[in-house]
Amino acid sequence: MLTVANLEAGYGGSQVLHSVSLHVGAGETVVVLGPNGHGKTTLLRAISGLIRLTAGRVELDGVDLTHLPTEQIVAAGVVHIPQGDLPFSEMSVLENLLVGAYRPAAWSERRERLERVFQLFPLLAERKRQLARSLSGGERRMLALGRGLMSSARLLMIDEPSLGLAPLVIEQVYETIHDIKRSGLAILLVDENAEHVAGLADRMYLLEAGVLVREGPAAELLRDEALLAAYLG
Amino acid sequence: MAIPDALDRLLQALYSGVLNGSVYGLMAIGLTLIWGSLRMLNLAHGALYIAGAYVAYGVLALGLPVPLTFGVAVGGAALIGLVVQVVLITPILENPGRDSASLIATLAASIVVQSAILLLFGGQTKQLPPLIDGGFTIGTTLISYQGLVVIGAAVVCLLLMSVFLHVSRRGLAIRAISQNMDAAKLMGIPIVPTFVVVMVTSAGLAGLAGVLLGSILFFTPSGGFTPMLMAMVVTIFGGLGSVTGTIWAAYIIGLMESFLAVYVGASWALPGIFLFMIVMLVIRPNGLFGLGEARRL
Repeated sequence: MLTVANLEAGYGGSQVLHSVSLHVGAGETVVVLGPNGHGKTTLLRAISGLIRLTAGRVELDGVDLTHLPTEQIVAAGVVHIPQGDLPFSEMSVLENLLVGAYRPAAWSERRERLERVFQLFPLLAERKRQLARSLSGGERRMLALGRGLMSSARLLMIDEPSLGLAPLVIEQVYETIHDIKRSGLAILLVDENAEHVAGLADRMYLLEAGVLVREGPAAELLRDEALLAAYLG
Repeated sequence: MAIPDALDRLLQALYSGVLNGSVYGLMAIGLTLIWGSLRMLNLAHGALYIAGAYVAYGVLALGLPVPLTFGVAVGGAALIGLVVQVVLITPILENPGRDSASLIATLAASIVVQSAILLLFGGQTKQLPPLIDGGFTIGTTLISYQGLVVIGAAVVCLLLMSVFLHVSRRGLAIRAISQNMDAAKLMGIPIVPTFVVVMVTSAGLAGLAGVLLGSILFFTPSGGFTPMLMAMVVTIFGGLGSVTGTIWAAYIIGLMESFLAVYVGASWALPGIFLFMIVMLVIRPNGLFGLGEARRL
Protein backbone atom coordinates (compact mmCIF):
# COMPACT_ATOMS: atom_id res chain seq x y z
CA MET A 1 0.00 0.00 0.00
CA LEU A 2 2.36 2.76 1.25
CA THR A 3 5.94 2.42 0.08
CA VAL A 4 8.69 4.77 1.22
CA ALA A 5 12.02 4.32 -0.55
CA ASN A 6 15.38 5.86 0.43
CA LEU A 7 13.72 8.92 1.93
CA GLU A 8 16.00 11.73 3.10
CA ALA A 9 14.73 14.88 4.77
CA GLY A 10 15.63 17.45 7.38
CA TYR A 11 15.32 21.07 8.41
CA GLY A 12 17.39 23.79 6.81
CA GLY A 13 20.87 22.45 6.26
CA SER A 14 20.74 19.61 8.77
CA GLN A 15 19.67 16.21 7.55
CA VAL A 16 17.53 14.22 9.99
CA LEU A 17 16.49 11.12 8.04
CA HIS A 18 19.02 9.00 6.19
CA SER A 19 17.80 6.72 3.42
CA VAL A 20 14.66 5.52 5.20
CA SER A 21 12.74 2.74 3.43
CA LEU A 22 9.58 1.19 4.78
CA HIS A 23 6.24 -0.15 3.64
CA VAL A 24 2.76 -0.58 5.08
CA GLY A 25 0.42 -3.20 3.63
CA ALA A 26 -3.36 -2.89 3.28
CA GLY A 27 -5.02 -3.25 6.68
CA GLU A 28 -1.65 -3.57 8.38
CA THR A 29 -0.59 -1.74 11.54
CA VAL A 30 3.06 -0.75 11.38
CA VAL A 31 4.88 0.89 14.27
CA VAL A 32 8.09 2.89 14.00
CA LEU A 33 9.69 2.81 17.41
CA GLY A 34 12.44 5.20 18.38
CA PRO A 35 13.62 7.53 21.11
CA ASN A 36 12.67 11.20 21.15
CA GLY A 37 14.56 13.42 18.75
CA HIS A 38 15.59 10.62 16.41
CA GLY A 39 13.35 11.64 13.50
CA LYS A 40 9.96 9.95 14.04
CA THR A 41 7.95 13.14 13.66
CA THR A 42 10.15 14.30 10.79
CA LEU A 43 9.39 11.01 9.01
CA LEU A 44 5.62 11.56 9.17
CA ARG A 45 5.94 15.24 8.25
CA ALA A 46 8.01 14.28 5.22
CA ILE A 47 5.53 11.63 4.07
CA SER A 48 2.61 14.06 4.35
CA GLY A 49 4.48 16.79 2.49
CA LEU A 50 4.78 19.31 5.33
CA ILE A 51 8.54 19.33 4.75
CA ARG A 52 10.29 18.71 1.45
CA LEU A 53 12.17 15.50 0.78
CA THR A 54 15.76 16.00 -0.30
CA ALA A 55 15.81 12.51 -1.79
CA GLY A 56 13.70 9.39 -2.04
CA ARG A 57 10.22 8.45 -3.10
CA VAL A 58 6.77 8.01 -1.50
CA GLU A 59 4.12 5.90 -3.22
CA LEU A 60 0.59 4.85 -2.37
CA ASP A 61 -0.58 1.81 -4.34
CA GLY A 62 1.91 2.62 -7.05
CA VAL A 63 0.83 6.29 -7.31
CA ASP A 64 3.74 8.65 -6.81
CA LEU A 65 3.10 11.10 -3.94
CA THR A 66 6.65 12.49 -3.78
CA HIS A 67 6.71 16.31 -3.77
CA LEU A 68 2.92 16.61 -4.02
CA PRO A 69 1.42 19.37 -1.87
CA THR A 70 -0.08 18.16 1.41
CA GLU A 71 -3.71 18.62 0.31
CA GLN A 72 -3.20 16.21 -2.59
CA ILE A 73 -1.49 13.66 -0.36
CA VAL A 74 -4.53 13.87 1.95
CA ALA A 75 -6.83 13.58 -1.06
CA ALA A 76 -4.99 10.40 -2.05
CA GLY A 77 -5.90 8.93 1.36
CA VAL A 78 -2.82 9.43 3.55
CA VAL A 79 -4.05 11.24 6.64
CA HIS A 80 -1.62 12.42 9.32
CA ILE A 81 -2.69 12.95 12.94
CA PRO A 82 0.03 15.23 14.24
CA GLN A 83 1.80 15.23 17.56
CA GLY A 84 0.23 17.60 20.08
CA ASP A 85 -3.09 17.28 18.21
CA LEU A 86 -3.11 20.85 16.83
CA PRO A 87 -6.83 21.35 17.39
CA PHE A 88 -8.61 24.37 15.92
CA SER A 89 -8.99 25.68 19.42
CA GLU A 90 -11.55 28.43 18.77
CA MET A 91 -13.85 26.05 16.93
CA SER A 92 -16.37 23.70 18.47
CA VAL A 93 -15.78 19.95 18.57
CA LEU A 94 -18.35 19.54 15.79
CA GLU A 95 -16.67 22.18 13.61
CA ASN A 96 -13.28 20.54 14.15
CA LEU A 97 -14.71 17.24 12.95
CA LEU A 98 -16.35 18.87 9.92
CA VAL A 99 -13.04 20.45 8.89
CA GLY A 100 -11.64 16.91 8.98
CA ALA A 101 -14.07 16.08 6.18
CA TYR A 102 -12.89 19.02 4.04
CA ARG A 103 -12.03 17.04 0.91
CA PRO A 104 -15.08 16.85 -1.41
CA ALA A 105 -15.19 13.03 -1.30
CA ALA A 106 -15.45 13.09 2.51
CA TRP A 107 -17.65 16.18 2.71
CA SER A 108 -20.50 14.58 0.77
CA GLU A 109 -20.56 11.73 3.32
CA ARG A 110 -19.95 13.88 6.39
CA ARG A 111 -23.16 12.90 8.16
CA GLU A 112 -22.49 9.17 8.01
CA ARG A 113 -18.87 9.72 9.02
CA LEU A 114 -19.91 11.94 11.90
CA GLU A 115 -22.25 9.22 13.14
CA ARG A 116 -19.45 6.65 12.99
CA VAL A 117 -17.02 8.93 14.85
CA PHE A 118 -19.61 9.64 17.53
CA GLN A 119 -20.17 5.90 17.92
CA LEU A 120 -16.45 5.39 18.41
CA PHE A 121 -16.13 8.43 20.71
CA PRO A 122 -19.44 8.95 22.59
CA LEU A 123 -17.65 11.62 24.61
CA LEU A 124 -17.19 13.80 21.52
CA ALA A 125 -20.92 13.57 20.83
CA GLU A 126 -21.63 14.84 24.34
CA ARG A 127 -19.21 17.74 23.90
CA LYS A 128 -19.91 18.62 20.28
CA ARG A 129 -20.95 22.22 21.04
CA GLN A 130 -17.95 22.87 23.30
CA LEU A 131 -14.91 24.82 22.08
CA ALA A 132 -11.91 22.57 21.43
CA ARG A 133 -9.73 24.61 23.76
CA SER A 134 -11.93 23.66 26.70
CA LEU A 135 -11.21 19.94 26.27
CA SER A 136 -8.80 17.96 28.43
CA GLY A 137 -5.63 16.46 26.97
CA GLY A 138 -7.20 13.03 26.50
CA GLU A 139 -10.34 14.48 24.93
CA ARG A 140 -8.21 16.46 22.51
CA ARG A 141 -6.39 13.29 21.49
CA MET A 142 -9.79 11.67 20.84
CA LEU A 143 -10.80 14.73 18.82
CA ALA A 144 -7.61 14.52 16.75
CA LEU A 145 -8.27 10.83 16.04
CA GLY A 146 -11.93 11.52 15.25
CA ARG A 147 -10.98 14.38 12.95
CA GLY A 148 -8.64 12.05 11.08
CA LEU A 149 -11.42 9.48 10.71
CA MET A 150 -13.73 12.12 9.19
CA SER A 151 -11.49 12.16 6.13
CA SER A 152 -11.57 9.53 3.46
CA ALA A 153 -8.35 8.08 4.87
CA ARG A 154 -6.98 4.79 3.57
CA LEU A 155 -3.88 5.05 5.70
CA LEU A 156 -3.83 6.79 9.08
CA MET A 157 -0.47 8.09 10.30
CA ILE A 158 -0.49 8.69 14.05
CA ASP A 159 2.29 10.59 15.81
CA GLU A 160 2.94 9.44 19.38
CA PRO A 161 -0.63 9.37 20.70
CA SER A 162 0.47 8.89 24.32
CA LEU A 163 2.40 12.16 24.51
CA GLY A 164 1.60 14.12 27.64
CA LEU A 165 -1.31 11.94 28.80
CA ALA A 166 -2.00 10.27 32.15
CA PRO A 167 -1.54 6.45 32.19
CA LEU A 168 -5.25 5.70 32.45
CA VAL A 169 -6.05 7.95 29.50
CA ILE A 170 -3.20 6.45 27.49
CA GLU A 171 -4.84 3.06 27.87
CA GLN A 172 -8.13 4.40 26.50
CA VAL A 173 -6.40 6.05 23.55
CA TYR A 174 -4.64 2.83 22.51
CA GLU A 175 -7.87 0.88 22.92
CA THR A 176 -9.47 3.28 20.48
CA ILE A 177 -6.62 2.80 18.03
CA HIS A 178 -7.28 -0.94 18.37
CA ASP A 179 -10.89 -0.28 17.36
CA ILE A 180 -9.69 1.71 14.35
CA LYS A 181 -7.37 -1.15 13.40
CA ARG A 182 -10.26 -3.61 13.61
CA SER A 183 -12.20 -1.45 11.16
CA GLY A 184 -9.59 -2.44 8.58
CA LEU A 185 -7.78 0.88 8.13
CA ALA A 186 -4.02 0.69 7.56
CA ILE A 187 -2.09 2.45 10.32
CA LEU A 188 1.45 3.82 10.51
CA LEU A 189 2.14 4.78 14.12
CA VAL A 190 5.30 6.26 15.58
CA ASP A 191 5.97 5.83 19.28
CA GLU A 192 8.77 5.70 21.81
CA ASN A 193 7.30 3.17 24.17
CA ALA A 194 7.25 -0.51 23.17
CA GLU A 195 4.78 -1.38 25.90
CA HIS A 196 2.07 0.86 24.43
CA VAL A 197 2.09 -0.82 21.06
CA ALA A 198 2.41 -4.46 22.15
CA GLY A 199 -0.62 -6.31 20.82
CA LEU A 200 -1.41 -3.48 18.43
CA ALA A 201 1.51 -3.60 16.00
CA ASP A 202 1.71 -6.22 13.26
CA ARG A 203 5.18 -5.20 12.21
CA MET A 204 7.78 -2.85 13.70
CA TYR A 205 10.74 -0.77 12.65
CA LEU A 206 13.37 0.69 14.96
CA LEU A 207 14.50 4.22 14.16
CA GLU A 208 17.79 5.45 15.62
CA ALA A 209 19.45 8.76 14.72
CA GLY A 210 17.42 8.97 11.53
CA VAL A 211 18.25 5.45 10.35
CA LEU A 212 15.97 2.39 10.39
CA VAL A 213 18.15 -0.14 12.19
CA ARG A 214 15.81 -3.13 12.52
CA GLU A 215 12.61 -4.43 11.05
CA GLY A 216 10.49 -7.44 11.87
CA PRO A 217 7.18 -8.88 13.02
CA ALA A 218 6.11 -7.16 16.22
CA ALA A 219 5.88 -10.41 18.17
CA GLU A 220 9.49 -11.23 17.33
CA LEU A 221 10.92 -7.80 18.15
CA LEU A 222 8.96 -7.64 21.38
CA ARG A 223 10.62 -10.87 22.56
CA ASP A 224 14.03 -9.21 22.29
CA GLU A 225 14.96 -8.37 25.86
CA ALA A 226 17.73 -5.91 25.12
CA LEU A 227 15.38 -4.04 22.89
CA LEU A 228 12.62 -4.03 25.45
CA ALA A 229 14.97 -2.66 28.07
CA ALA A 230 15.79 0.24 25.75
CA TYR A 231 12.20 1.00 24.69
CA LEU A 232 10.05 0.35 27.71
CA GLY A 233 9.97 4.06 28.49
CA MET B 1 -43.09 65.26 15.00
CA ALA B 2 -42.11 67.10 18.15
CA ILE B 3 -40.11 65.16 20.70
CA PRO B 4 -38.10 66.27 23.75
CA ASP B 5 -34.67 67.67 22.99
CA ALA B 6 -32.77 65.00 24.94
CA LEU B 7 -34.51 62.21 23.05
CA ASP B 8 -33.89 64.03 19.80
CA ARG B 9 -30.14 64.13 20.35
CA LEU B 10 -30.08 60.53 21.47
CA LEU B 11 -31.91 59.46 18.31
CA GLN B 12 -29.52 61.46 16.17
CA ALA B 13 -26.50 59.84 17.81
CA LEU B 14 -28.00 56.34 17.57
CA TYR B 15 -28.97 56.63 13.90
CA SER B 16 -25.65 57.95 12.63
CA GLY B 17 -23.77 55.59 14.97
CA VAL B 18 -25.50 52.51 13.59
CA LEU B 19 -24.98 53.83 10.06
CA ASN B 20 -21.26 54.38 10.67
CA GLY B 21 -20.95 51.03 12.40
CA SER B 22 -22.55 49.19 9.48
CA VAL B 23 -20.05 50.57 7.00
CA TYR B 24 -17.10 50.05 9.36
CA GLY B 25 -18.26 46.47 9.85
CA LEU B 26 -18.30 45.75 6.11
CA MET B 27 -14.83 47.28 5.77
CA ALA B 28 -13.30 45.75 8.87
CA ILE B 29 -14.55 42.21 8.32
CA GLY B 30 -12.44 41.99 5.16
CA LEU B 31 -9.35 43.36 6.89
CA THR B 32 -9.77 40.97 9.78
CA LEU B 33 -10.30 37.93 7.51
CA ILE B 34 -7.08 38.73 5.65
CA TRP B 35 -5.23 39.40 8.86
CA GLY B 36 -6.50 36.23 10.50
CA SER B 37 -5.64 33.87 7.66
CA LEU B 38 -2.81 35.47 5.68
CA ARG B 39 -1.29 37.36 8.65
CA MET B 40 -1.05 40.37 6.38
CA LEU B 41 -2.17 43.99 6.68
CA ASN B 42 -3.90 44.79 3.39
CA LEU B 43 -3.13 48.45 2.65
CA ALA B 44 -5.07 48.19 -0.62
CA HIS B 45 -8.33 47.75 1.27
CA GLY B 46 -9.21 51.46 1.06
CA ALA B 47 -8.49 51.50 -2.66
CA LEU B 48 -10.83 48.50 -3.14
CA TYR B 49 -13.52 50.40 -1.23
CA ILE B 50 -13.24 53.47 -3.42
CA ALA B 51 -12.95 51.29 -6.54
CA GLY B 52 -16.40 49.91 -5.68
CA ALA B 53 -17.84 53.44 -5.66
CA TYR B 54 -16.17 54.40 -8.96
CA VAL B 55 -17.09 51.18 -10.75
CA ALA B 56 -20.72 51.90 -9.82
CA TYR B 57 -20.32 55.49 -11.00
CA GLY B 58 -18.83 54.31 -14.28
CA VAL B 59 -21.47 51.71 -15.13
CA LEU B 60 -24.20 54.12 -14.08
CA ALA B 61 -22.91 56.54 -16.72
CA LEU B 62 -23.32 53.69 -19.22
CA GLY B 63 -27.01 53.63 -18.36
CA LEU B 64 -27.27 50.56 -16.11
CA PRO B 65 -30.15 50.63 -13.59
CA VAL B 66 -29.11 51.55 -10.04
CA PRO B 67 -29.71 48.15 -8.33
CA LEU B 68 -27.59 46.41 -10.97
CA THR B 69 -24.70 48.79 -10.40
CA PHE B 70 -24.40 47.37 -6.89
CA GLY B 71 -23.66 43.91 -8.21
CA VAL B 72 -21.24 45.20 -10.84
CA ALA B 73 -19.41 47.31 -8.24
CA VAL B 74 -19.02 44.39 -5.86
CA GLY B 75 -17.87 42.20 -8.75
CA GLY B 76 -15.43 44.86 -9.95
CA ALA B 77 -13.83 45.28 -6.53
CA ALA B 78 -13.66 41.50 -6.13
CA LEU B 79 -11.96 41.22 -9.51
CA ILE B 80 -9.34 43.81 -8.52
CA GLY B 81 -8.83 41.85 -5.29
CA LEU B 82 -8.34 38.69 -7.33
CA VAL B 83 -5.70 40.35 -9.51
CA VAL B 84 -3.88 41.81 -6.49
CA GLN B 85 -3.84 38.41 -4.80
CA VAL B 86 -2.76 36.34 -7.77
CA VAL B 87 -0.24 38.80 -9.22
CA LEU B 88 1.23 40.39 -6.09
CA ILE B 89 0.58 38.29 -2.99
CA THR B 90 0.71 34.63 -4.07
CA PRO B 91 4.26 34.95 -5.48
CA ILE B 92 5.62 36.33 -2.19
CA LEU B 93 3.81 33.91 0.18
CA GLU B 94 6.90 31.73 0.58
CA ASN B 95 9.20 34.72 0.86
CA PRO B 96 10.87 34.85 4.29
CA GLY B 97 10.50 38.65 4.39
CA ARG B 98 6.88 38.56 3.36
CA ASP B 99 5.59 40.76 6.17
CA SER B 100 7.24 43.88 4.83
CA ALA B 101 7.00 42.68 1.23
CA SER B 102 3.22 42.36 1.49
CA LEU B 103 2.91 45.81 3.08
CA ILE B 104 4.78 47.34 0.17
CA ALA B 105 2.95 45.23 -2.42
CA THR B 106 -0.50 46.20 -1.13
CA LEU B 107 0.54 49.85 -0.76
CA ALA B 108 1.69 49.76 -4.38
CA ALA B 109 -1.61 48.18 -5.43
CA SER B 110 -3.53 50.97 -3.70
CA ILE B 111 -1.45 53.63 -5.50
CA VAL B 112 -2.02 51.94 -8.87
CA VAL B 113 -5.78 51.66 -8.31
CA GLN B 114 -6.09 55.27 -7.13
CA SER B 115 -4.02 56.58 -10.03
CA ALA B 116 -6.09 54.59 -12.51
CA ILE B 117 -9.26 56.09 -11.01
CA LEU B 118 -7.77 59.58 -11.21
CA LEU B 119 -6.91 59.06 -14.90
CA LEU B 120 -10.33 57.65 -15.75
CA PHE B 121 -12.61 59.86 -13.70
CA GLY B 122 -10.57 62.96 -12.75
CA GLY B 123 -10.15 64.37 -9.28
CA GLN B 124 -13.44 66.18 -8.73
CA THR B 125 -15.86 64.89 -6.09
CA LYS B 126 -18.58 62.51 -7.17
CA GLN B 127 -21.76 61.12 -5.68
CA LEU B 128 -23.95 58.15 -6.53
CA PRO B 129 -27.73 58.44 -6.73
CA PRO B 130 -29.56 56.69 -3.88
CA LEU B 131 -31.28 53.36 -4.40
CA ILE B 132 -34.44 54.82 -2.85
CA ASP B 133 -34.96 58.58 -2.72
CA GLY B 134 -36.39 60.44 0.24
CA GLY B 135 -36.72 59.82 3.93
CA PHE B 136 -38.54 61.00 7.00
CA THR B 137 -37.75 63.04 10.07
CA ILE B 138 -38.22 62.21 13.71
CA GLY B 139 -37.68 65.36 15.70
CA THR B 140 -34.80 67.02 13.85
CA THR B 141 -33.14 63.75 12.80
CA LEU B 142 -33.41 63.14 9.09
CA ILE B 143 -33.53 59.43 8.43
CA SER B 144 -33.03 58.79 4.73
CA TYR B 145 -34.32 55.62 3.12
CA GLN B 146 -30.87 55.24 1.63
CA GLY B 147 -29.40 55.22 5.14
CA LEU B 148 -31.77 52.41 6.08
CA VAL B 149 -30.79 50.54 2.90
CA VAL B 150 -27.12 50.87 3.91
CA ILE B 151 -27.82 49.57 7.42
CA GLY B 152 -30.01 46.74 6.14
CA ALA B 153 -27.54 45.65 3.47
CA ALA B 154 -24.64 45.72 5.92
CA VAL B 155 -26.47 43.72 8.58
CA VAL B 156 -27.58 41.11 6.03
CA CYS B 157 -24.04 40.82 4.63
CA LEU B 158 -22.45 40.55 8.07
CA LEU B 159 -24.93 37.83 9.03
CA LEU B 160 -24.33 35.98 5.75
CA MET B 161 -20.56 36.20 6.32
CA SER B 162 -20.99 34.81 9.79
CA VAL B 163 -23.08 31.90 8.49
CA PHE B 164 -20.59 31.31 5.65
CA LEU B 165 -17.69 31.14 8.10
CA HIS B 166 -19.47 28.81 10.52
CA VAL B 167 -21.35 26.41 8.28
CA SER B 168 -19.92 26.17 4.78
CA ARG B 169 -16.99 23.99 3.83
CA ARG B 170 -14.85 26.86 2.55
CA GLY B 171 -15.80 29.12 5.43
CA LEU B 172 -14.74 26.50 7.97
CA ALA B 173 -11.52 26.08 6.00
CA ILE B 174 -10.77 29.81 6.26
CA ARG B 175 -11.23 29.71 10.03
CA ALA B 176 -9.17 26.53 10.28
CA ILE B 177 -6.25 28.12 8.42
CA SER B 178 -6.35 31.17 10.64
CA GLN B 179 -6.26 29.02 13.77
CA ASN B 180 -3.65 26.48 12.79
CA MET B 181 -2.01 26.48 9.38
CA ASP B 182 -0.22 23.11 9.67
CA ALA B 183 -3.28 21.29 10.97
CA ALA B 184 -5.37 22.87 8.20
CA LYS B 185 -2.95 21.51 5.60
CA LEU B 186 -3.24 18.06 7.18
CA MET B 187 -7.02 18.23 6.76
CA GLY B 188 -6.41 18.54 3.02
CA ILE B 189 -7.16 22.27 2.79
CA PRO B 190 -5.29 23.88 -0.11
CA ILE B 191 -3.74 27.03 1.35
CA VAL B 192 -3.09 29.25 -1.68
CA PRO B 193 -6.56 28.88 -3.30
CA THR B 194 -8.21 29.47 0.08
CA PHE B 195 -6.25 32.72 0.44
CA VAL B 196 -7.65 33.76 -2.94
CA VAL B 197 -11.19 33.09 -1.67
CA VAL B 198 -10.46 35.25 1.39
CA MET B 199 -9.08 38.14 -0.67
CA VAL B 200 -11.90 38.09 -3.24
CA THR B 201 -14.56 37.96 -0.51
CA SER B 202 -13.09 40.81 1.49
CA ALA B 203 -12.49 42.91 -1.64
CA GLY B 204 -16.13 42.40 -2.60
CA LEU B 205 -17.27 43.51 0.84
CA ALA B 206 -15.01 46.60 0.65
CA GLY B 207 -16.51 47.41 -2.76
CA LEU B 208 -20.01 47.02 -1.33
CA ALA B 209 -19.16 49.41 1.51
CA GLY B 210 -17.88 51.88 -1.10
CA VAL B 211 -20.96 51.77 -3.27
CA LEU B 212 -23.30 51.94 -0.26
CA LEU B 213 -21.59 54.94 1.26
CA GLY B 214 -21.03 56.56 -2.15
CA SER B 215 -24.68 57.55 -2.26
CA ILE B 216 -24.52 59.23 1.15
CA LEU B 217 -21.10 60.91 1.07
CA PHE B 218 -19.14 62.59 -1.69
CA PHE B 219 -16.06 60.73 -2.79
CA THR B 220 -12.72 61.37 -4.50
CA PRO B 221 -10.03 58.93 -5.74
CA SER B 222 -8.21 59.05 -2.40
CA GLY B 223 -11.45 58.78 -0.40
CA GLY B 224 -10.76 55.22 0.71
CA PHE B 225 -8.08 56.20 3.17
CA THR B 226 -10.22 57.38 6.09
CA PRO B 227 -12.64 54.42 5.95
CA MET B 228 -9.63 52.07 5.87
CA LEU B 229 -8.10 53.82 8.85
CA MET B 230 -11.38 53.49 10.76
CA ALA B 231 -11.61 49.85 9.73
CA MET B 232 -8.09 49.30 11.08
CA VAL B 233 -9.10 50.87 14.39
CA VAL B 234 -12.14 48.59 14.47
CA THR B 235 -10.04 45.53 13.59
CA ILE B 236 -7.50 46.25 16.31
CA PHE B 237 -10.25 47.11 18.78
CA GLY B 238 -12.08 43.87 18.04
CA GLY B 239 -8.98 41.76 18.56
CA LEU B 240 -7.14 41.18 15.28
CA GLY B 241 -8.56 38.25 13.38
CA SER B 242 -11.72 37.73 15.43
CA VAL B 243 -14.85 38.04 13.27
CA THR B 244 -17.43 38.27 16.04
CA GLY B 245 -15.23 40.74 17.91
CA THR B 246 -14.88 42.84 14.78
CA ILE B 247 -18.63 43.08 14.20
CA TRP B 248 -19.21 44.20 17.79
CA ALA B 249 -16.27 46.60 17.61
CA ALA B 250 -17.59 48.16 14.39
CA TYR B 251 -20.86 49.17 16.03
CA ILE B 252 -19.18 50.25 19.27
CA ILE B 253 -16.74 52.51 17.41
CA GLY B 254 -19.48 53.82 15.12
CA LEU B 255 -21.70 54.68 18.09
CA MET B 256 -18.81 56.16 20.04
CA GLU B 257 -17.96 58.41 17.11
CA SER B 258 -21.50 59.71 16.75
CA PHE B 259 -22.09 60.10 20.50
CA LEU B 260 -18.87 62.11 20.80
CA ALA B 261 -19.95 64.22 17.84
CA VAL B 262 -23.43 64.87 19.19
CA TYR B 263 -22.64 65.35 22.88
CA VAL B 264 -19.06 66.71 22.92
CA GLY B 265 -18.63 68.26 19.50
CA ALA B 266 -17.93 67.03 15.97
CA SER B 267 -14.23 67.86 16.14
CA TRP B 268 -13.83 65.53 19.12
CA ALA B 269 -15.04 62.39 17.38
CA LEU B 270 -11.80 61.21 15.75
CA PRO B 271 -9.31 62.35 18.42
CA GLY B 272 -11.61 60.85 21.04
CA ILE B 273 -11.65 57.47 19.31
CA PHE B 274 -7.88 57.39 18.87
CA LEU B 275 -7.36 58.42 22.49
CA PHE B 276 -9.71 55.65 23.53
CA MET B 277 -7.83 53.17 21.37
CA ILE B 278 -4.49 54.13 22.88
CA VAL B 279 -5.86 53.72 26.41
CA MET B 280 -7.48 50.42 25.52
CA LEU B 281 -4.31 49.05 23.92
CA VAL B 282 -2.46 49.83 27.14
CA ILE B 283 -5.07 48.03 29.26
CA ARG B 284 -6.04 45.26 26.85
CA PRO B 285 -3.24 44.83 24.30
CA ASN B 286 -5.07 42.05 22.46
CA GLY B 287 -8.15 44.13 21.77
CA LEU B 288 -11.49 44.18 23.46
CA PHE B 289 -12.35 40.63 22.44
CA GLY B 290 -8.88 39.28 21.72
CA LEU B 291 -7.82 36.49 24.03
CA GLY B 292 -4.27 36.59 22.78
CA GLU B 293 -2.49 34.96 19.89
CA ALA B 294 -4.58 31.80 20.26
CA ARG B 295 -7.92 33.49 19.63
CA ARG B 296 -8.80 33.69 15.96
CA LEU B 297 -11.85 33.97 13.71
